Amino acid sequence: MNYMPGTASLIEDIDKKHLVLLRDGRTLIGILRSIDQFANLVLHQTVERIHVGKKFGDIPRGIFVVRGENVVLLGEVDLDKECDQILQRVSIEEILEEQRTEQQAKQESERLKLQAVKERGLSIPKADTLDDF
Amino acid sequence: MHRGPAPLPQINSHSIWENSMGFSPGLITQKEDKTLMSIIKEVGLPNRPPALSREEGRDLSERVPPPRSCSPVIGSPPVRAIPIGTPPKQPMSQVHNQQNNHPSAIHVRASVPLRYPPPFPERLSPNHILSIANSPLSHPPFPAGVGPVLSQLQRAQLLNSQFPRGPAPPLLQGGVGGFRPFFGQSGPRMGPHGPPLGHVPIRHNTTHLHPQHRRMLNQRMQNRGLGDHVGGRGVGDRKNRDPYGNLMTQREKEWVARIQMMQLQSTDPYLDDYYYQNYYEKMEKRQERDRDNRKEHTTKLITPQVAKLEHTYRPVQFAGSLGKLTVSSVNNPRKMIDAVVTTRSDDEEKREKQVWNKRRQILYTVEKMYSLLLEVQDFEKKFLQTPEHQRDALLEQHKTHTLQLYNSLREKEWDDRVSDEQCLMIMSVRKGKRLISRLLPFLPQPQAAAVVMGIARNLPALAKKDKQDQVLCWLVEPVTAVIQSMSSTSLTDLLQELQGSEGQLPLVLQNKFGVTLLYLILSEGERMQSSDPNCQLMDDNRWTELVFSVTRELLKVPSSALSSPLFTPPNLVSLFSRYVDRQRLELLQEKLQITALSR
Repeated sequence: MNYMPGTASLIEDIDKKHLVLLRDGRTLIGILRSIDQFANLVLHQTVERIHVGKKFGDIPRGIFVVRGENVVLLGEVDLDKECDQILQRVSIEEILEEQRTEQQAKQESERLKLQAVKERGLSIPKADTLDDF
Repeated sequence: MHRGPAPLPQINSHSIWENSMGFSPGLITQKEDKTLMSIIKEVGLPNRPPALSREEGRDLSERVPPPRSCSPVIGSPPVRAIPIGTPPKQPMSQVHNQQNNHPSAIHVRASVPLRYPPPFPERLSPNHILSIANSPLSHPPFPAGVGPVLSQLQRAQLLNSQFPRGPAPPLLQGGVGGFRPFFGQSGPRMGPHGPPLGHVPIRHNTTHLHPQHRRMLNQRMQNRGLGDHVGGRGVGDRKNRDPYGNLMTQREKEWVARIQMMQLQSTDPYLDDYYYQNYYEKMEKRQERDRDNRKEHTTKLITPQVAKLEHTYRPVQFAGSLGKLTVSSVNNPRKMIDAVVTTRSDDEEKREKQVWNKRRQILYTVEKMYSLLLEVQDFEKKFLQTPEHQRDALLEQHKTHTLQLYNSLREKEWDDRVSDEQCLMIMSVRKGKRLISRLLPFLPQPQAAAVVMGIARNLPALAKKDKQDQVLCWLVEPVTAVIQSMSSTSLTDLLQELQGSEGQLPLVLQNKFGVTLLYLILSEGERMQSSDPNCQLMDDNRWTELVFSVTRELLKVPSSALSSPLFTPPNLVSLFSRYVDRQRLELLQEKLQITALSR
């Protein structure tokens, strides 16, 4: 059934499993049940997947209603390809722990970088002083 | 005591929306009037609740709001028009669809001939498009060659039913044709609502697609259709087993699709969808070139003209009253709170902010110039499209735009000199450099020359500011064009400007663009000399002297401080051979070759 030839529309994606990336960085995986003209989504049997390195953990969340403006991108999940993954699945506690460690490490490296730059008397230009095209 | 008056004002508020007949003006046209009148005479008007007024025994007509002196719209438009965001109700028969929207209207019997479909109700909501326009959809639309049947005005009348209009537009066959803007050409008919597995493809609005695009899509669909027949069954099975499947009904899906289609309507596709149109045009031209004159490919895009309507909102006023109503609505927002902005002033913050504000200002100027530039660039296309009598006006407009563009680069006191400060400011931003490079081809010769002079004069400063971006070389192409159209005197002037004050030339030579510019000037001078023996270049000694100083500098400067140009014009050797002796010529050649190789 071809609803809108030549345009991008979510209608044909309904009732299929999707991976949704949100603006705050979360990854949701769920079955897309309903949409509207703002691309607000209703996800069924949603799972929030946290990735750290090669491991991932799933937190079951139930039904999600996502406001369209907060979606970065979404795509259909190929159910066949989902089975053979290189990534290793771990428990929720473990993945949360991993995430915490990763964030700490990142903050530490940022701090060191800033310190080193300051010592040399340089300055990193802020994003708003750079020209946009 | 308050029981009585309450319902009456309610009736009166309805009367605001309806005429004295008790119908909403949107429902009937003049032609329908007669048929309806006959029905009304037959059936009679509905009874107003008589008991209440009789009970009270007083004349409540004084409660009626005074007759309106202008717009019939009080505040927000009536709620009973289905706003665009409303999900559809449960499926019901299409005949009753309209009537349920106007609960106070008389239920007109189905004997009203459907030959005259009523104009659209207040808003073109998705439900209505398909339900009203059902009849035109069911018979084959016009062939591709037929132009729009309705004139612009008629179409505007057709679409604008926000306010009651006097003579309703004739809606005979023209009315049917008028629906063409919304629905596409040949395609399978719309399937019936209901059966969820009814996989009849719904014909949606495909008119807006570029014909090239549609061809591609058809091809793609064919390919997919061939491959899908095998896989279709498996998917169908899976769907059957999903207990939560089809939570979104077919009708709701269509509803969303219809909204999305409505968003595609455009009054000016070249404005709203610029990249899409240009992309497909380019593709067509390319195909034409490759396949060599096959007439079917040169299709012109027939865009449906959706009339753009301006609704001027005037707030409601009552006749004979003092002052205006304070009503705040979507059309007429009012200030609710006093928000005061307080800025914290730290000294350092202030300085940083000042710098940033200046930058913002520059960007703002650049962007304003860009919108002018875009108008100038689109001039040609517009010119071809406007009718004869309007062309002069368009030409005038074009000239003023170009003049304005140039003015923004100029100093106010001097006539022809390009303001250094302005120029520098604009060129300190990457966007500004891009702007100048796009702007130069559109300026008339003397003005363009002035701009190039300005650039040459300020080259060291520009080079310094360009360190981060490294995009001065965008300017090479347009500057080349300008230089090649310059006279010999201005060329000499340019060379002089480039050398400018003491120590400018070495700085120029350090920069890639600077070297390229220098070479361009020299090459152009050489071309002039060799092609036209009477050329004025040699009239005064200026040119010769300038070239001498250039050669001196080139020889003096160490190779490391000499930047390699974008390209080396071939006639430089002949130029230098006129002015320097053999030894120096060889040295120069070596240097230039070195720089040419070290690119």
